[in-house]
Parts: sequence; structure tokens; C-alpha cells
Amino acid sequence: MSGRTFGEVSRNLTALAILAAALLAAAPRAGAVPSFARQTGMACEACHTVYPELTHFGRVFKANGYILTNVKQVRDVTGKKEELLSLAQTVPLSIMAQISYTQMKTSVPDLSSAGAPGVAQNGTAGFPQQLSLFYAGKIAPNFGAFFQLTYANDSGTIGIDNTDLRFADTTLLSNNSPLTYGISLNNNPTVQDLWNTTPAWGYPFSGSNANVSPLAGTAIDGAFAQDVAGITGYLFWNESLYAEFGGYRSAKQGQTNALTGGAGPLDGTASNVMSGLAPYGRVAYEYNVDRHSIEAGLYGAQFRLYPGAGAPLRGPLNRFNDVAEDVQYQFVGDEHQVTIAGTHIHESMTLDASFANGGAANPKDNLSTTRVWATYYYRRKIGGTVGYFSTTGSTDTSLYPATVSPPPAGGQPGVVVSANGSPDTRGWIAEVNYLPWLNVKISAQYTAYSKFNGSGTNYDGLGRSASDNNTLYLLLWFAY
Amino acid sequence: MRNCETNTDRPDRRLGAACVNAVLVLLATAVLESGSPVARAEEPDAADKLHAQKVAITVCGTCHGPQGNSTQPKFPRLAGQNANYLAAQLKAFRSQTRGDPDAISYMWGMAAELDDDTIASLAPYYAAQKPEAGRGGDAAAIARGREIYDHGIAAEGVPACSSCHGPDAHGTQDFPRLAGQHAQYVLKQLASFQSNMRKVAIMHGVAQNLRLPEMQAVAAFLEAQP
Repeated sequence: MSGRTFGEVSRNLTALAILAAALLAAAPRAGAVPSFARQTGMACEACHTVYPELTHFGRVFKANGYILTNVKQVRDVTGKKEELLSLAQTVPLSIMAQISYTQMKTSVPDLSSAGAPGVAQNGTAGFPQQLSLFYAGKIAPNFGAFFQLTYANDSGTIGIDNTDLRFADTTLLSNNSPLTYGISLNNNPTVQDLWNTTPAWGYPFSGSNANVSPLAGTAIDGAFAQDVAGITGYLFWNESLYAEFGGYRSAKQGQTNALTGGAGPLDGTASNVMSGLAPYGRVAYEYNVDRHSIEAGLYGAQFRLYPGAGAPLRGPLNRFNDVAEDVQYQFVGDEHQVTIAGTHIHESMTLDASFANGGAANPKDNLSTTRVWATYYYRRKIGGTVGYFSTTGSTDTSLYPATVSPPPAGGQPGVVVSANGSPDTRGWIAEVNYLPWLNVKISAQYTAYSKFNGSGTNYDGLGRSASDNNTLYLLLWFAY
Repeated sequence: MRNCETNTDRPDRRLGAACVNAVLVLLATAVLESGSPVARAEEPDAADKLHAQKVAITVCGTCHGPQGNSTQPKFPRLAGQNANYLAAQLKAFRSQTRGDPDAISYMWGMAAELDDDTIASLAPYYAAQKPEAGRGGDAAAIARGREIYDHGIAAEGVPACSSCHGPDAHGTQDFPRLAGQHAQYVLKQLASFQSNMRKVAIMHGVAQNLRLPEMQAVAAFLEAQP
């Protein structure tokens, strides 16, 4: 960042934020945790159709704070049978690995030499793409945790990943219907959600981190994953009606105060700092009958951001109002498992800060993302998913720029830009999966783009087609 | 008993009434899973009852329904089930002696740390719940099922189910209630008795000669019973 003026930096802040959102949204989302199976004594199929997708039982287990346990405990109780301590004799630890191989239809330019630009090697082995350690299970009688540390090959470091700490309890109402109530402390809006329709645990459950990601993504779609701290309270009545409300605040990793060198307070050296609390809300209703489960819901959040990154944390803000609908149908049989699910996220942006500093061409923009998918498994052994995704929104030549700023050493490479300033991206994704055992998954996934960053052909102004970004992704994913 | 086993192994599966009677004699001695002793539940006190109610609704209820009237056929209906049978099953899960696939996947874990007091409270909780009416099905299958249930299939050495489970399929203290039970669950249990994954000598003897359409008919009949 040194050598660049604050103005240069801030102009593209929003674009960078949204690019980051897209990258994060494309990053692997992984949460298969055998420590839950060890704790409950139940096989994966109790909570998952095939991991990480949850069944009704899995949703209830999560809402109850991951505390259901069927293993021997170290206990301490008072004379009035008040439980002071309940420690599992088996520590709920798990490890998870993702080993992958990515092949793009057309590789990207190699910018290593300004004089003679070549083509980057096509075919990327991720070994591992991701390696995670989980603490996932009960901590105390009404307190449980899903805590993930991840090594990722793109950063080459170990960092905090999805985290959801819960206090929860259940009471019986006068009509004997159960009411579960709880509080979640988490670091990613929707990571605490119970359905696999919302972004943190939505499809695709894993994707390549060695391909090209589109420029645009809504804020709630992973933009602030592991970058915020949230506290939400929820009610889950009769295992069917769910309501949740809470707020998020910036909780940067690796950020220090310029004056004190401490982990805070956040100052203008940090980027995209939330102003106050970002409210988050969720309602959903689930109906279960026979082997069918149907859910419909709404979720949303409002994020108000200071651009920061060299600009003081005051003045105009960028506001992202996200409202989303989601639906899910599951058939969970012994032989057949079927899921049809989808979500539609609508985002209204009021970009006072970016418009003022030239980072956005319009004071207001809209962005919508739609994802729908259908999954089938036979005996939880072999199956596949077909999905459609689409992001459309306002054309904004500053938000979705035609050139990379500052220009890289090898000249303008295209690929990660939009020649016409449109964020529109859509395509299909298909994958086949084979699980020799319930905690080992082998996948082949193909993503095909019909439109990328605004166009099907020559989307970057340098002749690259959307389909050049089509990606074949092979994955070995296991957890223990 | 020996003769019956020999006869039922024959390809022609002809079994006379004598063996049906012998099977019935067996019922008196070989009832529970893998020889688990019958546990006569102690009368739970009020606190135990409250605890059992909460466990039943908030834990067991996720699969079995809050009052034991499960809507998912994978999970058996427990409302109105006989307490002694339920207690014996929970102990069989706990000791991992009941080995049908769903027992292994779900109930071995769920029951692993159940103490005797909780079992003694849970069983009467479910026994006291009002069973909801099961679903009706194909009339012809139900009629065939009733025939098998009431009279067995003498030619195949299958005794009348009613001789143990009662004329109304409500069971007895030690024999389970089957009326209103999910047909898919009954079918899976019969298959598990047949394959001996769920090892109950008497039910293995009963089920091993049953053919799939006959099991389906009995299951359809049972689900339709009030």
C-alpha cells in the first residue's frame, strides 16, 4: 500500500470489497465433523443426508447448541443436583482435509515478465487445498461450540475459520410443545443458520480456490466471513418455526492499531470497518411429514461500512441492505435422498462513500444473486448435484472496472475485470460424488459460465469469453 | 423346538400345527432381545416423571414425535407402547444387543448413557401417551394382512401374530404393541428378524418363512389398526 495515495486506494475500495466478497464466497465451505458423531454415538446419517447438508435432526442438534451427548462425562454436582461441570471423557476434536485438482478451460495470462507475457500453467494441485482442525461439541451443560482452524494453500497460513459458539436450552410450553432458545456468538453471518440454503453452508459446499471468481457478490454472501463478531438470539418453536435477531461488528484478524500496536481499537488503516452494529435477522418455517421436510424463510442484514484503508473512520458510509428468501425440500429415505433448494438475495447499495471518492459511478446500485440446486444420492453412496447460479445488477463502471488498478507489471491482463461495467454472471454447476465411507467423499465438479462479469464473449475487452473460465474441480474430502 | 427349526429349514417349508404350538410355547420363554431380563420398572416419582417428559419431548421427540406419535416412518411410534417392552428395548440398545441397522446408527448412541432411572421413567411416559390412528392402505393387502395376523400361514409354519400381540395388536406387558405402527418400520423389523441382525429367536422363527408380499400385507394391516 505504501507509495499509493489514500485517494487512489479508496477509489476502488468498494470494488475490492466486493471482489473480496466474491472470492470468499467461492472459498471452500466445509463442515463435516465426526466429533459430533463420537459425542452423540450416532452415525453421520442422523444429522446429515450427506455431509455437510443437515437433516431435520441435525438442525435440531445445532439449535440445541451441539450439546446432545451420549458419552461418559466427568461431572460435578451440588447437593441440589445442580450441574456445575459436565466434561466429556472424549475430547470432541476432528480433522478434515480437502485435496483437490483444478483445471480451467483456458488458463490465465502469466504476468511474471512484463516484457514477454505468457500463460500460467493450467492444472492446479491443492495438496491440501484445506486442512482443518475442529473443536466441535459440548463445552458445558448448555454451552457448545463449533470451532474451526484452517490451513489453506492460497494463504499458506493457519487461520480462524467458521466459528459458532452457542448457549441453548429447551423448555416445554403449557401445551407441551418444545421451545428452544439460544444465543450464538459467531464470526460469519449465516454460519449459525440451520438450513443449507443460506450462504455460509449453501451449495456448492466446496469449490476451487484456483480458478477465476466473478467480481460481484452480495455482502451477506460471505463478504464478512471470519471478519466480524456477531451475537444473535434465536427461538425455535416446536422444531418448526425459527426466528433470530442479532448484530455484527467488525472483528479483524491480523489488524493492529497504528498508534498502539495493539489488536485495537480499529483505526483508518483497516478497511471496510462496520459502523456500529450490523443488524441481522432470520425467520423460517419448516414442516416435516413422513420422510419429507419443507422449509421456507427470509433472512437479511444491513451493513454500514467506513471505507477506511487510509481514510479516517468518519464521513459518508457505504450501506448494503440485503434481503433474501430461501426454500428447501428434502426427502430423506433409506435408499434415496433428494434435496431441492435455493435462495435469492437482493442487495440495495447506497454508496455514499464510494460515490464521493470515485470508487462507484452511481450513488445507488442493486445486485441480486440467485442459486438453485437439486441433489440426489443413492444410499448415501453415490450421487450428484446440478445447480444454476445467476448474479445480476446495476452497471457501474467504477464498481466493476474495466482495468485493474494499479496496472500490474505485465500490463492489463483482463480476466478479473468487466469491460462493460456489468456484474452479471451466470452459469451451471454439476458434480458427481462417491462416498466409499460416510466420512470420505470423492467429487468431480464442473462449473460452466454462460456470462461472466457482464458478457458471454469478450467480457474483459481482451477477447476472453465467459466459458474460458469453466472449471473442472476434482476433490478428495475426508474428515475424521 | 428342534423339530421346528429343522422343518423351517426345509425347502418346502411345510410346518404342521404341532410346530405352531411349539412356537407358541417358546413365546413364554424367549421374548426379549438376546435374553435381556424383563425389567419391571420401578414407579418413578414426580421429579423423574417431569425429567422423562422433558427428555422425551426435547430429545427423543425430534425423531419419535413429542408424544411418541412419530410422523416419520423411519422412526417407530412409541405412543401407547407397552412399558416393559420399551424398557427392555432401551436396555438392549444400551448393551448393544439389538442390532438392526437403525438401532446401530441411532439408538446405540442415544441409549449409551441412559441410566436405569431414566429408562424406568421414559417407558411409562410413552405407555401413557395416546396413540394416534395409523394410516390406512390398500384394502386387499390389509385383508390379507389381517388373515395372516389372525391365523398365521400354517403351510409356511408362520404362527398367528395375534397369539402374542393380541387380537387387537395392542400387545401385552412384554409383547410390543403393533397397532398403528408405521408399515415401513414393521417391514424393516421383520427383515431384520429374518436376517437375524435383530436377534430374537422367536421372531426369527416367525419371520424366516415370510415372503415379502406377506410381510407387506401384515405391515399394512398393522398400520391401519387403531
